[in-house]
Formats: sequence, C-alpha cells, structure tokens
Amino acid sequence: MTFTETISGLLPIAGPISDFIGGAVASLIIVSFLMSLVAVSGIWGKRKITAAFTDRIAVNRHGPFGLLIIVADAVRLLSKELIVPEGVDRPAWDLGPLVMASSALLGFAVIPMGTLFGLNLQVADPQAGLAYVFATASIASVGLVMAGYSSNNKYSMLGGLRAVAQNLAYEIPLVVTGVSVVLFAGSLQLSEIVAQQGQTLVSLGGVAIPSWYAFVNPFAFLLFMVANLAEVGRNPFDVPEAPTEIVAGWQTEYSSVYFVLCYLSEFIHIFLGGAIIATIFLGGPAGPFLPGFVWMVIKILAVYLFTQWARSAIPRVRIDQLIEIGWKGMLVLSFANLVLTAVIVGVIA
Amino acid sequence: MSLEDPTKPELDAGETTEGVDYDALESLLGEYAIGRESHVNAEAFVVRPDEVQAALELLRAEAGFDHCSCVTAQEYEDRYESIYHLRKYDDPTQEVGVVVPTSRDDPVSESANEVYRTADWHEREAYDLVGIEYDDHPDLRRILLPETWQGHPLSLDYDQEQPQVVEFSEHANPLKEDHSGDAESDTMFLNIGPHHPATHGVLHLKTTLDGEQIADVESDIGYLHRCEEQICQNGTYRHQIMPYPDRWDYISAGILNEWAYARAAEDMADIDVPEYAQVIRTMSAEMCRIASHMLALATFALDIYGDFTAIFMYAMKDREIMQNLLEDLTGQRLMFNYLRLGGVAWDLPEPREDFFEQTRDFLDELPEKLEEYHNMITSNEIFQLRCVNTGVLGPDVAKSYGATGPVARGSGVDYDIRRDDPYGYYDELDWDVVTEQGCDNYSRVLVRMREVEESAKIIDQCVDLLEEWPEEERTIQSNVPRTLKPEADTEIYRSVEGAKGELGIYMRADGTDKPARFKIRSPCFSNLQTLPEMSQGEYIPDLIASLGSLDIVLGEVDR
Repeated sequence: MTFTETISGLLPIAGPISDFIGGAVASLIIVSFLMSLVAVSGIWGKRKITAAFTDRIAVNRHGPFGLLIIVADAVRLLSKELIVPEGVDRPAWDLGPLVMASSALLGFAVIPMGTLFGLNLQVADPQAGLAYVFATASIASVGLVMAGYSSNNKYSMLGGLRAVAQNLAYEIPLVVTGVSVVLFAGSLQLSEIVAQQGQTLVSLGGVAIPSWYAFVNPFAFLLFMVANLAEVGRNPFDVPEAPTEIVAGWQTEYSSVYFVLCYLSEFIHIFLGGAIIATIFLGGPAGPFLPGFVWMVIKILAVYLFTQWARSAIPRVRIDQLIEIGWKGMLVLSFANLVLTAVIVGVIA
Repeated sequence: MSLEDPTKPELDAGETTEGVDYDALESLLGEYAIGRESHVNAEAFVVRPDEVQAALELLRAEAGFDHCSCVTAQEYEDRYESIYHLRKYDDPTQEVGVVVPTSRDDPVSESANEVYRTADWHEREAYDLVGIEYDDHPDLRRILLPETWQGHPLSLDYDQEQPQVVEFSEHANPLKEDHSGDAESDTMFLNIGPHHPATHGVLHLKTTLDGEQIADVESDIGYLHRCEEQICQNGTYRHQIMPYPDRWDYISAGILNEWAYARAAEDMADIDVPEYAQVIRTMSAEMCRIASHMLALATFALDIYGDFTAIFMYAMKDREIMQNLLEDLTGQRLMFNYLRLGGVAWDLPEPREDFFEQTRDFLDELPEKLEEYHNMITSNEIFQLRCVNTGVLGPDVAKSYGATGPVARGSGVDYDIRRDDPYGYYDELDWDVVTEQGCDNYSRVLVRMREVEESAKIIDQCVDLLEEWPEEERTIQSNVPRTLKPEADTEIYRSVEGAKGELGIYMRADGTDKPARFKIRSPCFSNLQTLPEMSQGEYIPDLIASLGSLDIVLGEVDR
C-alpha cells in the first residue's frame, strides 16, 4: 500500500477526491522532509563536509555545532534584494529556477523511501516508475536552458549551452545503464526492483549478502555513479557552473529567492540522484536494525558525500573533453554493459 | 655561467671571455652610434630616433642581445629619452643600453616592437606616463591610465593639481552593441574581468570568442595603478623608498622586491653589505619565494579544480607557516619593510634557537608535503589532461616577449638572475636552477613546485651558516651616510630574481637625495604580454589556466 493510499484510506470519503487529497498530503510530507534535508545538509552539512576535506573548522559559533547557521542563512538569503537585470526575458527567467526545482521534486513521487513506524513512505508506485524518474529528472535541462538564455548575460548563455550539451551526453549512458538493471529485475516498477534486490546473493559465514545490483553488476554501478556526477554537475563535471571560468554559468544573474531556488534545485537533484542510485543499486531502503526510511536517507547522504568528495579532490575537465568522455567513452561502455547484461540474463534465465 | 661553458661554440660579436667589449660593439653599430654614455651597470650607446630598429636589430642578431629587459622613458629639461636595457638570456651580466633622445617639440621615436615584441607594452607605458610617441608602433594607446586622461603624469610640465574630471559617458562603453566591429561576424565578445573569479585581481581581458574558443584576447590593465614610480621619485633614497617595494608584488614576495631596490641603490651609492646581513637576506628572500609559489600553486588549483578544492587550503596552510616565520623575523606579515640600505633592519628574533627550530621543522616536513601535492595535483590524470600541451609558449616567443622567472624556465629558457648575475649569498650556496622543457601550463606548475625544493635547500644552508655565525661578527648593517646624494647623472639598471621573474629597477640621480627617475621593470608586466600567444585557438578554461600559470600579481603589473 503506498503512502497516498494509506492517507486516503483514513479519510471518511472515497473516490478521486480522497485520492487527490491523499496524494497532496503525502507529497507535502515528503517535500517538507526533503526541504529540511536540504536545509541541514545543504547549508550546514555542506560547510562542515567541505571544511573537513579542506582542513578547516567551518561554522561553530551559531548554536551547537554551528547548526543555527541554517536560520541565519535563511534570513540572509530571503532578505536580500532580488535584482532583476535589464533585458531579461521575464517569464522564462522567472520560470527557469521553478522548473528546475520542481522537476527534481517530481521525481521523488515514485521513490520508495522505505517504511517508518509501519508506514510505507512511497507516494506512488506506477508500473513505469524508473522511466518516470528519468523523465522528470531530465526536465531540469529545460529549466537550465531557460535560465541560461533568458538571463541576457553571456556567461549565463555559455553556462546554459554547456549544461544542455552535458546533459545530452550523459543522460543517455545514465538511462542505458538503468535499463541494464531493469533487465535483471524484469520490471520498471521501483518497488519491484527493490524487492528483487532482497534475495540473497551469497552467504558468507552465515552473513547473507543481498543481491544488490551494485554487487551483482559493479561495472554498471560505477558507470551510473560517474554519469550521475555529470547529471548533477559536480566535479569533475561541473562545467555548466564552472566558477573561475564562466563566473557561475547559468545562475550568474540570479539573486535572493531565485538564487535559493537554484541552490535548492541543485541539492534536490543530488538527492534524487542518490535516491535513484540507492533504489536501483543499493537495495533501496533495505538494511539491518534501523527502519528502512533511515537507511534510505543514509544511502542518499552517502551519495551526497561522494559528490562533495569529488568536488574537493578532482579537477574539472574541459567542456570538449567532457563531451568526448560522454559520447566516446560512457555511451559505448554503457551499451556494452547493456548487451553483456542482456546476454547474461538470457543465458541464466 | 655560460661563459665558462666549454661547449659554447663561439662568441657573439662584441663579446670577449671577459664580458662585453663595448668598443667592438661601437664599431659594430658604426654610424648608428652617435654617442656613448656610461651607466653604472653598463655602457650605453646613443642612437638617432629614426634608426632605433636598425640599431637594435644589429645588437640582437649580431651581438646576441636577445633580451630587451626594460624600456625606460624620461624627460630632461631639453629632451626626452627612451632607454632600451638589453641583456642576454645566456648571460645577463652582459648588458648594453640604447639611449634614444628625442626633441621636446616633437618627441617621436621609432618603435622597437619589430625587434623585441615586449617593446609593445613598454612603449605604450612610456607614451602613457611620459609622453614619447613611437613611430611604427602597432597600437600606441594609453595602457595604465584611462584613455580619457589629460596629460602625461611623469612629464616635467604636468600639472598635478589639474582635476581629471571625466564624464562617465566619455569612457568607452564595453557593453555597447557594435564595439566588436562587424555585426555579421559570428564571434562573441566577452569581458572577462575586471570582476571575475579567475583574474587574480583587477585584470580585464577583452576576449573574442568563436564558440568557446578564443579568437582573440587583449589584456586591459591599469586598474591598480598607484603611481608607485612617482611615489618613489618623491622619497629619499635612505629610508622613504624601502616600504614601497612591498606593495608591488604584495603576495608575500615583499623581501624579494625590497632586495631589488636595495641592490640598485647599494650599487649606485657604492654601499657594502655585511656578509651576515647577506645571509639573512638570502634566507628571508627564499622564504618569501616559497610563500609566493605556494600561493601560486593554491590559486592555480582553484582555476583548474573549482572553488571548493582541498589543495587551495592545503597550500595556504603551508604558506601560513612561512608567513609566521617571516612575521617572527620582520614583525610584519605582508609589508615587511625589513631590508635597509647596507643591511637589514634587525637581527634574527630571540631566542634564535626557536626560530631555527621552527624553520627546520618546516624544512623537514616539506618533502612529505610536496609528495602529497604531487600525488594530488601533478600525477592526477585529469589535471594532466587539462594542463599538458595547453597554453604553449615556445622558448623563442618567450624570449621575444621578455618573459622571465618560472614562465621562462617552464619554456626551457635557463635564466635565473640569482645564478647568472649573482648577488647576496647565492653563489656561495649549493642549489640548482629548475627548468622544464614542456613549454605548457603543466611545466610552469612543475617549475614552481620544484623551485620550492630548491629554495628549501637554500634556506637550510643559510640556517646552518647563521647558527654557527660567531656572535661578535653579527653585523646587520654597514655604515651608511644619513643622507644619500649620489652624483648627478648617475644611472643604473639592476635586477634581482623576484618570485615572478626578473624584477629590475632603473634609477637616475640628479644630485639630490631623491631619484630623478625611478622605473620599475615588473616581471609580471612582461609575462602577462604572452597571454594572447598562449591562448589563441584554445578554450576558455585553457585561457583561465594559462592566466593562472603566469602567476601575475596586478599590484606589480600596474604598479
């Protein structure tokens, strides 16, 4: 039973209205949770993590462990003047950040976030769940183009163009690698993919190793992690923003609340990337002792930590090298992986 | 030194085993030389303003003076004068000056740009500040001051009180639609700077892009021009000039800069420096070099890695150790003002053992740290992908632009003033000049990292010497007259190896206690000129990387 069905089941009425209310309430809860996750890990966690990588201390004066920086930052960002540069293409410029932020949030509708106190926290579980996630996540590219083109700034335009080129080059390997998982699971439904990973792969000294697809096909896992870095635009693939090259790329002209939206959408995208990786490679919410939901969050944050690590330690590739790696390397490898998986699945099944 | 090198096939015209034979040079120049002057550093030949190119070409091609180190312009009561300070990359002790006088009514002289590409910017500066015009110059515009500036501030009749009120609308608007010329063209004009994360200060790059590739790039400098030369001309030799060199290359290279002034002034006024002070100078200068190269490494990593790289902080932390040692020594963290004419300001901090111990600790830990840097940076494959074969600067182009320091040495030009024209205590110590043959961004980074090792070697030997120096012989300053008044018309051009390259100073005395002309030859100024050569046809990220690998400080470029 999905989260939506649970909530609408509590309502005194039945039918489409109760489904709608159930869905709205369920999404509201999930979105609120994601927002607080961004607030904690984006504003405070990011500072602390980067500081740990770079031998610094970071915030420690605002409240315990500097946690109140979240409040301070929220006030700071929201009270700043929203500067609208001359000559921006108004509706597109306003919509860009919204499209980006909402596309990532949409993706979370089908992610099985695990159970907490007996509640299954998956808003919806359509049959084509994986296709849906990839589809919504890639809508963000449209937002990037809108932001880049409408800003009336050459750096923004370069950033927007870079973003599209990058997303095109890495979306395909990402999806093709995702398909290889579908071949194993035999379903696009995310709950089914998670369920399939619950089987035992091998038993080592009494400890059952689950058949997470990261263990079954580590090559695909690696490909997906790399393509995901490009998808969320973190080193070595942070060319669309590339501060020190093109200032801040597509988000150069955004300030105040719009900047918050851009920032937010980036983090939610990283979390969505983490959620997809957790769901299709790391057994979703599965894990010992702790509730599934907690495990899911841990896995998402682990992927987030990985992106931050990459950001602190790996140089940025050049745009032409990025495209080359994407089309000549990742694409070929991902198709090779797909064919190999198909053969293996065909032989075994 | 190359002269002692038995493999050197033959001597250039006018060269003897002793150095330069100026009489032979004079006969080589023939009727081009219409007069001869004696500067403290070298002889100079007077050349007619319309025969500059021919005379310089002769000196370059026949006599091997391949390095136009500096162009000084100045105004006398009766004439203008441009002085081309020429040297050899093989042996910078072989110098010659070419003095080009022009009349006050019509100060036009032939440009040297055809012979030495570096003359382009130097002559623009001479035009801007002094007012000499150069015939045949490809692009004679103001370089440091705004294009709307009235008058030439270093000329004698310049009115300092004259207000420079310029309406904002009179300035060229970099945003106006058609300023890149052809509206049909499919290139895009992009202003990189003056406010941009990667220009390391206020530098403005007017970039023309073809897609993401650089079709053309032109540096617009002068945003940080603080009239340093004029300030120095208004200060007395003895004390009032020394604080300013700290403010040229302000990235912890202060003592290296101070030494440039100290060397020029001491040679001009014939002041001795006690050996003990020379050792302290050598040690503290190399500490500055390490600190400066660490920052160069840190910011270059920023350019390649992005804002959140760990390397930046690592390098800053190591620089901080040097900074603390220098603070112990000089009392200041950046603007040291530690050197004095004839020595240094004060002796090593007490207790001396602590200072030596802390220095030794740093030196002991350094190899391990450099190992880590090499692991994180130079052996990283993506880093190599980005830096190897980008920003290529061939040795001949580098020489023509007067590139020096790690930029020249990264292009395989074996040129280091510390060894080739020794000063201080360098020739008594055991160390090597680092060169790399790659000519690319990677080589320049590698040169800096290896130079840190060499500097550490120098510091180590200096510490050994200082530790054993007998207490009664610790003289930190020689006797220098309270007021220095070098003889009128004494002229000198002297340089030292700064963190960025050859930092030279030209001074002319007029019999008073202040220099009549004070000219700074900034290594960054010459090095920055090579940027278009390096980046044309490459991508924006390569341009940024090349700029980072040049390691310029705008305080020194603009002075």
